[in-house]
Amino acid sequence: MTVQTTIGQKIGAAIAAPISWLAAIVDAPLKLWQRATGTNGMAAFFLAPNMLIFGIFVLAPFIINFLYSTTSGNAFFLPDRNFVGADQYRRLLECGSYLDPSSCREDLFWKAVHNTGLFVVLQVALLVVVSMITALILNREIVGRSFWRAVFFFPVLLSPVVVGLIWRWILQRQGLLNSMLYQFGYQPTEWLTDRFWAFAAGVTVSVWAHMGFFTLILLAGLQAIPRDLYEAAEMDGTRPGRVFWRITLPLLMPNLLVVIILALIRAVQIFDEVYVLTGGGPGTSTLFLTQYIYEVGFASLLRNPGLAAAASILMGAVLVVLTLVQLQVGRRNEKKGARE
Amino acid sequence: MGRISLTNIDRAYGKVKVLHDINLDIQDGEMLVLVGPSGCGKSTLLRLLAGLDKPTSGKLAIDGRDVTRVSAAERGLAMVFQSYALYPHMTVRQNLAFGLENQRMPKAEIDARITEATRMLEIGQYLDRRPGQLSGGQRQRVAIGRAVVRNPTAFLLDEPLSNLDAELRISTRAEISALHKRLATTMVYVTHDQVEAMTLADRIVVMRAGRIEQVGRPLDLYNEPANLFVAGFIGAPRMNLLPCKVKAAAPGTVSIEGPGGLSTTIAANGEALKPGDDVTIGIRPHDMTIGMGSKGALEAQVTLVEALGPETVAHTLTADGQKLVAVLKGQQLDGAGGAVKLHFDPAMAHLFDRSGQRVTYVRSK
Repeated sequence: MTVQTTIGQKIGAAIAAPISWLAAIVDAPLKLWQRATGTNGMAAFFLAPNMLIFGIFVLAPFIINFLYSTTSGNAFFLPDRNFVGADQYRRLLECGSYLDPSSCREDLFWKAVHNTGLFVVLQVALLVVVSMITALILNREIVGRSFWRAVFFFPVLLSPVVVGLIWRWILQRQGLLNSMLYQFGYQPTEWLTDRFWAFAAGVTVSVWAHMGFFTLILLAGLQAIPRDLYEAAEMDGTRPGRVFWRITLPLLMPNLLVVIILALIRAVQIFDEVYVLTGGGPGTSTLFLTQYIYEVGFASLLRNPGLAAAASILMGAVLVVLTLVQLQVGRRNEKKGARE
Repeated sequence: MGRISLTNIDRAYGKVKVLHDINLDIQDGEMLVLVGPSGCGKSTLLRLLAGLDKPTSGKLAIDGRDVTRVSAAERGLAMVFQSYALYPHMTVRQNLAFGLENQRMPKAEIDARITEATRMLEIGQYLDRRPGQLSGGQRQRVAIGRAVVRNPTAFLLDEPLSNLDAELRISTRAEISALHKRLATTMVYVTHDQVEAMTLADRIVVMRAGRIEQVGRPLDLYNEPANLFVAGFIGAPRMNLLPCKVKAAAPGTVSIEGPGGLSTTIAANGEALKPGDDVTIGIRPHDMTIGMGSKGALEAQVTLVEALGPETVAHTLTADGQKLVAVLKGQQLDGAGGAVKLHFDPAMAHLFDRSGQRVTYVRSK
């Protein structure tokens, strides 16, 4: 017993020693800083490294991007580019009718906007419904519950490119799905080259890839609902459907709102898995906003970084609105939680 | 009607048996309190009654109808949960109406029942508030109200006062008692607090480790505890239990000797006892008196004095290291440290054999 304590103390001292030395080294300059700037200055000192990283990797790119959006040409360096003010925005927003992309000056942008809008509506709706059903099932006392939870969460761990490649392998003309259908006597379907099926595949694959994360949020919400409430409902003779609509759903609403908003944000940003899966095709049927920005800015022969930057600023504005809604919902939930 | 009978009820979770052969008849209109320490199975038993859990074996009947496998909703019982289990997103009115709406009751009837219950429980002014906007006591009333509006065959109450502060607990206890008298409906009440059990119950069921130790009226349990567990559990402060040896035993009397120079003869069934046997004598703190300097039955040192005003609680220690508590009338003893002699009337003492079972004769009170 005594030997163990001594070894423990030695290990503790060995760990503490370098920390003590480090503390002694930074002690003097920190004291000087505090003397010079006061207690508030210490907060600035500790925030500085994070603010520096934020500045370099977030704030500076945002400002540079905004400056690019006010220039034209395909020169790479900002000083070599022509200042055109809001021309790029005008070009993007010039439209006969916003409901008809072909009437717009930048028809591809509006085609991408339309596709993204449709994708957001379908993908978010499907994602929320599937995640909710999965969470409700995983919340029950089913056999192998932990295993199933892991199974549904697993796709979240995959890289989007891997997700795209796996599903391309399954859905391509001579892929796994068509081979299986052929075995059962069905004709192969053009899953990735038919406009309808390609879009549907994009939505489905995206739901498959992300549902684990949202299922987890909803599952946490379901488990936070006290069991007593369900027992009270059982004593009251409440039918299962009514339990869901009148008890589970209202009490899950804070989590559900978070899920919907996060899913909206992610859906607006959709790019990688669908790009790997369909490349935006056939034609422009699965061209989404992020892919448009990428192709206009970097990939097309007549690349136009200014136009791409303007499109990304417009998309960023949509995301800022969604993020603000999410923050508002989060704050409301916190207040509600504190009240109850 | 609200007669409930349990016959040979067992409940096991896997290999762990939590209820052992429970047999109990609950009379119509009775307030029956299940009491016992944590983990004794009282809440499990209540859940079995409610239909929220099913027994492993045995039979459960309400008013003669076998409901062992009948769902909770069809038993006609209402439960008040420890956590109140009020729906936090609904107003008080919606909480009260929810169960009645499930029965597709006409709105006018629902409104009438809510009005009656809220008048009885004085919660009419909170009808449009949500549970989060109510105090603990108000939530508790709403929880009772939700049970009352259902007009159940029997009420099941699972430690309903445990989340209230001490003062509110006393007043709410009295209100529940009054409500029981007014409704005259069977109530099964679970608590770990023996004071609650004593003050509320028509009959108390003392449970330990999934078994019923004793069933009886509160004062019967207090005056004639069937075994050491009940003797120690019922009564506050708890009964002084002193290990003793039998000096002489005869049919009708047992002479014993024990710590602190204790030597006395007790009227008890001594037929199964013989000199040298281990026994335990139980003396209620309220049955002890202190005689300073006079000749006494037990000699001890005072270690702590709690002056409560109308009575004084003296904590003492015998030379053998045996702790004894005496509750003395009025304001006695100036402080700790002095030697005292503790007296008791042998007729008020309780004697338990080596297995902890009562051997004292049942006294007629």
